[in-house]
Amino acid sequence: MFRYNFKYESIALLRSKWIQILIVILLLLFGFATYNGQQKTFKRQADIIEANAEIADADRDMLKLLDSVEQGFQVSASSWTIPNAPMAVGNYHPRLASMPPSDLSFLATGQSDMFTHFVKPTASGDDLALNFTEMTSPVQLLFGSFDIAFVVIFLLPLLIIAFSYDVLSSERESGSLRLLAAQPISLYKWLFQKLGLRFFWVAVIMTLSLTLVFLLNQVAIGSNFAAFMGFLAITLAYALFWFALAFAVNLWVGSSGKNAVALLGLWVVFVLLIPAVLNQLGGTLYPMPSRGLMINDMRAIKAEATQRQDEILDNYLRDHPEYAVNDTTQKRSFWHRYMASQQLVKKELEPILIRYERQLEKQQLLLNRFTWVSPAIVVQGSLNQMAGNGNKSYKSYREQVIAFAQEWRNHFLPMLYNNQEFRSENYAQLPKFTFQRPTYQSQSSALFVVLCSALIVLGIGALRFRIYSKKEQSLVNQ
Amino acid sequence: MIITNNLTKKYGDFTALDQLELSVKEGDIYCLLGANGAGKTTTINLLLGFIQPTSGSAFINQLKVEENPLETKRFLAYIPENLMLYPSLSAVENLDYFSGIGGKSLNKSQLEGFLEEAGLQSGAFHKRIESFSKGMRQKVGIAIALAKDAKVLLLDEPTSGLDPKASNEFGHLLQKLRGKGVATLMATHDLFRAKEVATHIGIMKDGHLKQQFVASDISLSQLEKTYLETMDYKTLVS
Repeated sequence: MFRYNFKYESIALLRSKWIQILIVILLLLFGFATYNGQQKTFKRQADIIEANAEIADADRDMLKLLDSVEQGFQVSASSWTIPNAPMAVGNYHPRLASMPPSDLSFLATGQSDMFTHFVKPTASGDDLALNFTEMTSPVQLLFGSFDIAFVVIFLLPLLIIAFSYDVLSSERESGSLRLLAAQPISLYKWLFQKLGLRFFWVAVIMTLSLTLVFLLNQVAIGSNFAAFMGFLAITLAYALFWFALAFAVNLWVGSSGKNAVALLGLWVVFVLLIPAVLNQLGGTLYPMPSRGLMINDMRAIKAEATQRQDEILDNYLRDHPEYAVNDTTQKRSFWHRYMASQQLVKKELEPILIRYERQLEKQQLLLNRFTWVSPAIVVQGSLNQMAGNGNKSYKSYREQVIAFAQEWRNHFLPMLYNNQEFRSENYAQLPKFTFQRPTYQSQSSALFVVLCSALIVLGIGALRFRIYSKKEQSLVNQ
Repeated sequence: MIITNNLTKKYGDFTALDQLELSVKEGDIYCLLGANGAGKTTTINLLLGFIQPTSGSAFINQLKVEENPLETKRFLAYIPENLMLYPSLSAVENLDYFSGIGGKSLNKSQLEGFLEEAGLQSGAFHKRIESFSKGMRQKVGIAIALAKDAKVLLLDEPTSGLDPKASNEFGHLLQKLRGKGVATLMATHDLFRAKEVATHIGIMKDGHLKQQFVASDISLSQLEKTYLETMDYKTLVS
């Protein structure tokens, strides 16, 4: 039976105008999504290049100015900004801490719509100014950009539904099912094979499309083979889940109209409703503390620290005797007091920030605990991760930037408290930021979850076979 | 070839078929006549195993249908009132598909041979079914039966909607199959065609087989009169 099903189902599919239109739509969607993803990646890359160029220009000007100062010329610049003062360099000539797009960035925009990809940590700035605490729930981004991930998660299921909602019912409605049922074949096997063949062709089209997408984006499949295979595997597993749903609905529901409504209803539940409910639930169970109140608290702490700057500086120098010993002039400026108070402010702000972070972590934990409920969430998370735009990538970027900000600050503090000047030869020693991309992590657990979901749904379909095993032919009269 | 013993089908309180006793032997063409709802299609559905009997049993080639739903189908072919084949496939492709999934692998010349035997013009062999008339589709249905080498042919109103020529051709095809020893059970409203092709005729009403006789023992007018009397169409008889 399989050979004939394969041969004639393939011929019928190739001759069906409806299927031809669906395939063209799928290819167009992939094409547009690739273009869109590419544009976003190019823009991100261009923004980083532009920011780097600005820094290079500013550095050139700074070095010229520094050279003039070192040669004893009078310079026309505000005393605060003359780069022989370490804090002027630390504050007005920061380095760029950027997260360039990965090779696969175009596949899934993920969190990249929400966060900046480059920041310039200054010596006097606090970590909060880096704007990383805005991170809310990642499911919010399920309604995001028109990229390949969007096509896979939102639109591919709709195409599969259009491809499979009436596999059994159309045969019943046209009358050909009676003729088929009069043959010595199992209708369950026949239906399973028919949907299996449609899945096979969708898999072939998806594989070819994704290969083409990779080639068009000049992504070397060889060096990204694990990611390519991972991407393909999770996409096909997700397609299998929707075919499994179509199998179960074809067996359990009935007419083409009812099947279509049932499958579209399931699409709304799995793709829209569950992610939205989880998102809302996270916010309701673990609400984020008011950002306004947090800023007020911060201002109060900073104002208090400003009033007590002399006392704070004394305490700070007591804690850092190396600065007091090395400095014979004991000259203390605004920056000495400010930087000392910054340390205190940072310590006092910590509980507030931790409270903020904990709520965020709880939201994330809740989401992680229930992602299995919807394969759409699992696949979105996995594709974001593979594209280097997921939670883990941004968390790692944030940690690296905070560490770099500390390194930048620490680079200037000894110069400040030892009252040393910044000189041209110190320029080469300025810390530089290089983003260390987290190594590619296998998405096998996500794949396992999606495959399990598909198997469970297939099992629900097969349950009908078990319940009605002696009444298989009742499918004809359903 | 076809035997039913006390075959009964009830839907709740409604009895669609009541204790049907029927026997169609090799080379017989048994026509079941009756108004809509008489139980003709129910009989065919029970023989196909599409529905389960409430009581009694049906046998195809000595195999109980209920217990051997797939095995009995190896011996039978079925042509419904509206034979719906795959419109995007040609006659040869449809025949190849239905033969193939049934376990019979045929080459191109064999497929064309069966279509020719069924009376389909050779120019239509490779045309898509979507352009076929009902008569042409019925011929493909007969070709499927021929290719399957079916011992039993179940026909549900096969000539309804056919023009007289197509209906006549269909009658000839049934005679050809009869010559091959096929046992045919045909549900029909067409008294004339029944008298033309049948070896035996039965008249059903309200799920009961009211009358049955050998076709050659009765004239067309007698058949019509008996039919109308059985149906209680008294005004028309008078």
